[in-house]
Amino acid sequence: MPLVRGTGDVDRPLLLVTVLLALIGIAFVFSATSMTSAAAEHGLYLKQLIWLVVALAGGALAAAVPYRIYVGRSAWLLYAMGLGLLVLTLFIGHVGLGAQRWLGWGPLKFQPSELAKVATVVLLANFLSERKLDLTQLRSLAKPLLAAGVPFLLVLKQPDLGTSVTFLTILFTMLYWAGLPLFYLFLLLSPVINVAASFFLPAWILFAAVLSAVLYRSRLRLAPILFVVAINLVVGIVTPQVWNHLQPYQRQRIATFLDPAADPYGAGYQIIQSKIAIGSGQALGKGFLHGSQKALAFLPEQHTDFIFSVVGEETGFFGAAAVTVLYFILIYRGIRIAHHARNRFAGLLAVGLTSIFLYHVLVNICMTVGLAPVTGLPLPLLSYGGTSLLTSFLQVGLIQNIAMRWREY
Amino acid sequence: MPFDPESLSGSRYRQRNLTAVVGVAFALVLLRLFTMQVLQGGKYRELSEENRIRVEVIAAPRGDIRDRHGLLIADNVPSFTVTLDPYDKTFVDTPARLDSTVARLGGILGVDPGLLREQVRRDGKQSFLPVRLKRNVDRTTVAYVAEHESELPGVDVEFEPLRRYPLGQMASHLLGYVGEVSDKELEDPERADYLRGDLIGKMGIERQYERYLRGEAGKRFVEVNAMGRKAALLGEKHPIQPVQGAALMLTIDANLQRAAEEAFAPGARGAAVAMDPRTGEILALASKPNYDPNEFSTGISQERWAVLSEGGNFPLFNRAIQAAYPPGSTLKPFVALAGLMMGAIQPGTTFRETCNGAFQFGRRSFRCWKPEGHGTLALRDAVAQSCDVYFYQLGVRLGLDRLAEFMKRIHVSDRSGIDLPQERRGLFPDAAWYDKRYGAGLWSRGLVLNLAIGQGETSLTPIKLAQLTALIANGGIMVRPHVIREIEEDGRPVAGLIPSQDSVGTRIDLPAAPLASVRAAMEAVVADEHGTGYSAKVESVRVAGKTGTAQNPHGNDHALFICFAPVENPRIAVAVLVENAGHGSTAAAPIAQKVLQAFFHPEADTLRAVATR
Repeated sequence: MPLVRGTGDVDRPLLLVTVLLALIGIAFVFSATSMTSAAAEHGLYLKQLIWLVVALAGGALAAAVPYRIYVGRSAWLLYAMGLGLLVLTLFIGHVGLGAQRWLGWGPLKFQPSELAKVATVVLLANFLSERKLDLTQLRSLAKPLLAAGVPFLLVLKQPDLGTSVTFLTILFTMLYWAGLPLFYLFLLLSPVINVAASFFLPAWILFAAVLSAVLYRSRLRLAPILFVVAINLVVGIVTPQVWNHLQPYQRQRIATFLDPAADPYGAGYQIIQSKIAIGSGQALGKGFLHGSQKALAFLPEQHTDFIFSVVGEETGFFGAAAVTVLYFILIYRGIRIAHHARNRFAGLLAVGLTSIFLYHVLVNICMTVGLAPVTGLPLPLLSYGGTSLLTSFLQVGLIQNIAMRWREY
Repeated sequence: MPFDPESLSGSRYRQRNLTAVVGVAFALVLLRLFTMQVLQGGKYRELSEENRIRVEVIAAPRGDIRDRHGLLIADNVPSFTVTLDPYDKTFVDTPARLDSTVARLGGILGVDPGLLREQVRRDGKQSFLPVRLKRNVDRTTVAYVAEHESELPGVDVEFEPLRRYPLGQMASHLLGYVGEVSDKELEDPERADYLRGDLIGKMGIERQYERYLRGEAGKRFVEVNAMGRKAALLGEKHPIQPVQGAALMLTIDANLQRAAEEAFAPGARGAAVAMDPRTGEILALASKPNYDPNEFSTGISQERWAVLSEGGNFPLFNRAIQAAYPPGSTLKPFVALAGLMMGAIQPGTTFRETCNGAFQFGRRSFRCWKPEGHGTLALRDAVAQSCDVYFYQLGVRLGLDRLAEFMKRIHVSDRSGIDLPQERRGLFPDAAWYDKRYGAGLWSRGLVLNLAIGQGETSLTPIKLAQLTALIANGGIMVRPHVIREIEEDGRPVAGLIPSQDSVGTRIDLPAAPLASVRAAMEAVVADEHGTGYSAKVESVRVAGKTGTAQNPHGNDHALFICFAPVENPRIAVAVLVENAGHGSTAAAPIAQKVLQAFFHPEADTLRAVATR
């Protein structure tokens, strides 16, 4: 326990869990691609292994360079780069699944949103670590809201709903960590809840009642109350309009999530097949390399977004639960490191990076077990994808960076 | 440094809360996994082993194609396709059965089992859909397959619309054909929604308007039990019905098309294009020899394809747009127009050298096509009798630069822009082109003589020739030729595809007087007793035209003819080319005459009555 010993050592459980998950990922990329007759996929696990070496080096570098360099102007530089690439993607990005998400140099493809996520965390950590920050003032909230809102909208425009919500998750987690009272967090979140509730009238009535009660009992002045009410009214009116303007595939995914049988061929098919794969793994699994759903190519995108389904099918409940627990440990260590950091900036940075993992892991796993819509988000560390693996290690490296320097002010 | 020396206030409380929330979320995931895998695992295991949920694609019929009067020229008929599901339970359990089943099917379908095996292996990779082995299977075979269902695991008969061209070979190049999507086409990201085995337009209209004609495939969701037979239709509540492709109405007049195609002698090679010079609407577009697009609909054999694509006459080649020929004397009206517009000649100008059958330029002698000579002629007769000596001298007087500049102004070297794939570009060379080809200054000034009579490196596609003829006919509008009159999607016309009346083309500044002189000269070609286009005469219609006989390195001269009518208010422009057929006056003009005859006097025609019945 390096933190207790007080040395400048890395957080060993976090390191262990990260490497373990990456190795499990390579094993199951091998398994998922071993049966496909497309010869092109056979060597993918080797590629992933090479990427792991690159990622380890990248992670070490991210841990070695003191995190102080991310304070101040460099944060803006990073953020500008992230946004610039996002804008570039809108113009020249590769189209995949009806959305422009990728930038490429030759054989390398890279999702600029990966950089934008980290850059947003860094910038938010800068904003929220300022002295004399009073988060109950609307004025001091404006900067963080904008910093997360711009990339959110840019990614939404691609369109990539799943990834864009990451920015909201980062924002709310970091605001909470920075000291925003739960009551204000609720007010901030109210438009989001409003959107979700507006699809189901009883839920919306309940939401409206709760919001009214909370506002009535609050000691806010009239202006902020009116502001919250106005925003919620606008959102309530705009949501149906936006729904009508959503990309067909997005609308279908949401509808499919609510009723998988309605779209048996598209996303519903994926969910049904993924559930059959995981469920049929039973307690002990069908054995490594012996998944039958996988073998018959019933599982879509099995080495990328649906790799957890292969884990569930071949290793059963014990394997799937073990992987889930490993992810919990990763996130738990992240929060712990954030808590122990004596420096406000460092704590915020750690918790922001951890929230990226939290969101991706939960949304991906929930998708494979039918608890969330198909979003196209990879499972960090496990899914096939070189740049995704590298980004995950860079994030863990940064968290380790903070763990190593927790005493610093 | 904005570092806060103090730790976050209340940090412990927030850490505990956040950890608790995360813990609850992960616990819920674990609970879900436990429910699915341990409590309901048996049910899912059964589903995974005994019930395969399979998707069946319901192919969409392609859109109908009709001529400008509504006559059907492409539609669909129902047909049977035999498919094989390589992921059938039987094959998964005993892979050897796949081989024996394929071997048996080869016998039933009359296809080499080796080819079938290769196809199953290749197509099976791409998706988990059944592989389409043979299209348009006859009823006897279908009945046989149905009777022996139990011995043929994974084999099924699907209902598929088959593309049909009721007029057979007619308009084959214009329509194109459909075939299975190729590996190369599949690599195109725009074809991401095509699966191997899907049909796609390969040439002509079928290819150009593929995205409208294709329609949207429907989907059926089928549960297949352990026996490999359909158990229940899980998705029967909402199968997605296929949507037929958009209906196209062409600008083509089937009557005219037939007249043009039948005017060619059997075995002749060539092309004929008829166009409305006011709008650019293509009325007929024929290329000879034809092929039968119906042959492709069911999947064509390798050998047959080789015959069609490489066989002696290249029947798949659309000579109307894919081939450029020396225009020969059909270029003379345009050279004359250049002379008049550039002020090199007046309509009454005669040249110093009279035509005695040849023209001496430097040390070379350039011959006129008429060995005995034409004597001294002015513009009208020089065009009507196609005197080469007159145009040699006009060419010299204009010079290459001015001639090339005029040809550039009327876009001779550009594509016509017709809405059909693979149009070839024509060429009228200029000094820069020769400099590049032979080196600066290393070419003879005598080249311009050949260019002035449409020989040398000049080459034009028949469609371009028709467009240029229309330019003279309509008084200077470069119309954009097109074959589509209307696209109807869901019963509504698709807007914005067809050039509207006021944007049919670009206006080119051609003064009226020179145009009138050239038109009059072209009328003389057909009307005069000595005119070379006398055989294009049509009763009670004033026709203007020009013959051409183009020398070429591939054997006999090509015969050409261009014309438009009626002279006072042109409604049709025609360009005809017959490969290696000799004189334009005897081999090409009569074909144009038959097209004009069908256009102006269609009474004798019975095609429409027969075909619509």
